Amino acid sequence: MLIHEVLVVGGGLAGLMAALTATEKSDVAILSKIYPTRSHSGAAQGGFNAVLGEDDSISAHIFDTVKGSDYLGDQDAIEVLCSEGPELIRELERMGVLWSRNPEGGLAQRSLGGAGFPRACFAADISGHVVLHTLFEKVLERGIKIYPEWHLLELLVEEGQIAGALVYDLARAKLEIIRCKVLILATGGYGRAFAKTTNAFANTGDGMAIAYRAGAILSDMEFVQFHPTTLYGTNVLISEAARGEGGYLRNKDGERFMARYAPQKMELAPRDLVSRAIFKEIKEGRGIEGKYVHLDLTHLGEELLQQRLPQVKDLAARYAGVDAARNPIPIEPAQHYSMGGIRTDVWGMTSIPGLLAAGEAANVSVHGANRLGGNSLLETVVFGRRSGQRAAEIAGTERWVSLSEAAVSRYMEPWNSLLAGRTQAKQDDSPFAIQQEATSLMTRQVGVFRDGPELEDAVKRLAELKERYRRLTPPAGEQPYNYALMHYLELGYILDLCELIARGALRRTESRGAHFRLDYPQRDDQNWLCHTFVRRGEKGPEFSNGPVSLTHYPPQERGY
Amino acid sequence: MNLSLEICRFNPEVDREPYFQEFRVEIAGHQTVLDALLEAWRQDPGLSFRRSCRSAICGSCAVAINGTPRLACQTLIRDIAGDNGRITIQPLPHFRQLKDLVVDLEPLFDSLKAVVPWLITRPEHDGHMDPAVSQRMESLSSCILCGICDAAICNPGGTKPAAYVKGLRLAQDTRDVLNEARLRLMQVPPEILKLFIKKMPDVCPKKVKVPEI
Repeated sequence: MLIHEVLVVGGGLAGLMAALTATEKSDVAILSKIYPTRSHSGAAQGGFNAVLGEDDSISAHIFDTVKGSDYLGDQDAIEVLCSEGPELIRELERMGVLWSRNPEGGLAQRSLGGAGFPRACFAADISGHVVLHTLFEKVLERGIKIYPEWHLLELLVEEGQIAGALVYDLARAKLEIIRCKVLILATGGYGRAFAKTTNAFANTGDGMAIAYRAGAILSDMEFVQFHPTTLYGTNVLISEAARGEGGYLRNKDGERFMARYAPQKMELAPRDLVSRAIFKEIKEGRGIEGKYVHLDLTHLGEELLQQRLPQVKDLAARYAGVDAARNPIPIEPAQHYSMGGIRTDVWGMTSIPGLLAAGEAANVSVHGANRLGGNSLLETVVFGRRSGQRAAEIAGTERWVSLSEAAVSRYMEPWNSLLAGRTQAKQDDSPFAIQQEATSLMTRQVGVFRDGPELEDAVKRLAELKERYRRLTPPAGEQPYNYALMHYLELGYILDLCELIARGALRRTESRGAHFRLDYPQRDDQNWLCHTFVRRGEKGPEFSNGPVSLTHYPPQERGY
Repeated sequence: MNLSLEICRFNPEVDREPYFQEFRVEIAGHQTVLDALLEAWRQDPGLSFRRSCRSAICGSCAVAINGTPRLACQTLIRDIAGDNGRITIQPLPHFRQLKDLVVDLEPLFDSLKAVVPWLITRPEHDGHMDPAVSQRMESLSSCILCGICDAAICNPGGTKPAAYVKGLRLAQDTRDVLNEARLRLMQVPPEILKLFIKKMPDVCPKKVKVPEI
């Protein structure tokens, strides 16, 4: 048995920030299913929002975020996010982040969608990568123990509190118990629940699903962000920075169609609005080959592309065969970000004592119904740090929850038999087939545009797919690097979350932010200015409504 | 196109030594070697290989393709499949093979520690940096620690090129207490340094340049 006061699960930005903070006062370890530097935070391109310029203001950042969230974001949490931003950016600078500079040597800032001011600090178009590697260097400096390529399987909850985790070392194919006083879930999102997604293969929502199974409250799961500009076909992300630096969206007639949907903000309207506009263009026959639209960067010039958007240029060339300096890039919207997640307060505390969550895995909620570009990276460091602080406090004051030998056996038994099982005989069904059907269904029927009958059908089909999943023989066998077993488990997480997303979407009979119902196209503050809470019950998910924090900004009509 | 993938298999619990297994896959020329590996995985879920972002930023899928270390997700089929449609895929050379295409990464990550790979911030740093200095470090900061340079330019027992890249970046960082003193502390022999400078542009998937200093 391994023992740490604080166990951080996930080695992306939120996890590393939490660990670096908690290590000041407690014994911390990081457990991650891939090496930390491989985390999907590293794929973030655009930047970190923070108010630095004198012409900008914290209250403007707060208002942009509240409005961007379609008034579902908790205003107390948004105030924390925006107020602590500048200090965090400066701290990252002192840690060694190589920010892009303005001519005076200060931090350069660019415009991202839905913002009234250029307030995203960036490192060319590899912002996430640069910050992730800097935090990783600091983790090496602090000598924080890392368990790389270890998977969390189950949370140990005794006397209603976290007692530790049951984990699996992929290299040795061994189960282990890690005792801890506090466990921080920083496991990211569930992008792979959708066939069309910008997310990495690792993004299967493990932490959310495992927390849900352990009884934690999740919230706002129906709010899923679809990024407007992903490469047509492969859905590789093309950063919003491309529009921030001046890129245009054009339909088959070469028209900048955003003029019809957001005459003021144009291409820099929030993502929910731009994604809907693109699909509307395609649906009304103004798509190219009826399937996609163009992101036009040709007027920006080779030099700017090379300096500010080198990765975008490279991705377009390699995966779409397009020289972005000369030709427009074919793009389509695809799943990108999970607004919903494990419900937390502003210190990362969940509904289970000793269990904290931060980053995309959590729902604080600062993004509400729609996240603004540049706010998720900011969220990872602000709330990663806060959860690390709170974790260290708990570790310093709380006693260890007892975990009896009998309890350990009870937790281990089903997993031991799963691992000891024989490699199965050839089956008619497979995790690949089930995943393919489930994720296509999500993209088709629980995507940018939703309606009642389609959602009802999706809920029914997802239940059938879950039943098929239950009948699969797990790909057992005690061999090292058993990715088949991991894939099987990850599919289980995805299916649990798909159900919560689809049922949440069916239940919410209004349109708000990224959740758009064709049969209820209006926002309905009378009935739905509330969070969706869900927890696991005896007979399946139990939904309820939770209050939204409204401090200074009463809901208004949301135009751009 | 119809491809024959020759994939190096090895399960330490069963096999005495590695062997090649052929997979027949149907893949378009504009798809990647990673797409081909995923297709092979569907045929045999017991096949082990690392992958995550599929857009050349995480560094997980570094393998040897037709003998050359590359990122599978960054390598297009049409660029490497010859007329016979045959592609060999092996684990990164100079790394210990743990299972199939999975290699031991611990020596790579361990080697970083030798260059003290973190900024030791000058107390007087006021948050400003000459944009020219910052731009000079940009290429070095785009390293994704995929291990490809180490596999291609092996320096047995000495500083690994990826560690050197990190050290060299910090040696140029005006915020750092050690700054240029890092060059002396790293003690990379001139002939090894020449080798890094010469070979890096050909092997690095992120085109990291080791500058002359």
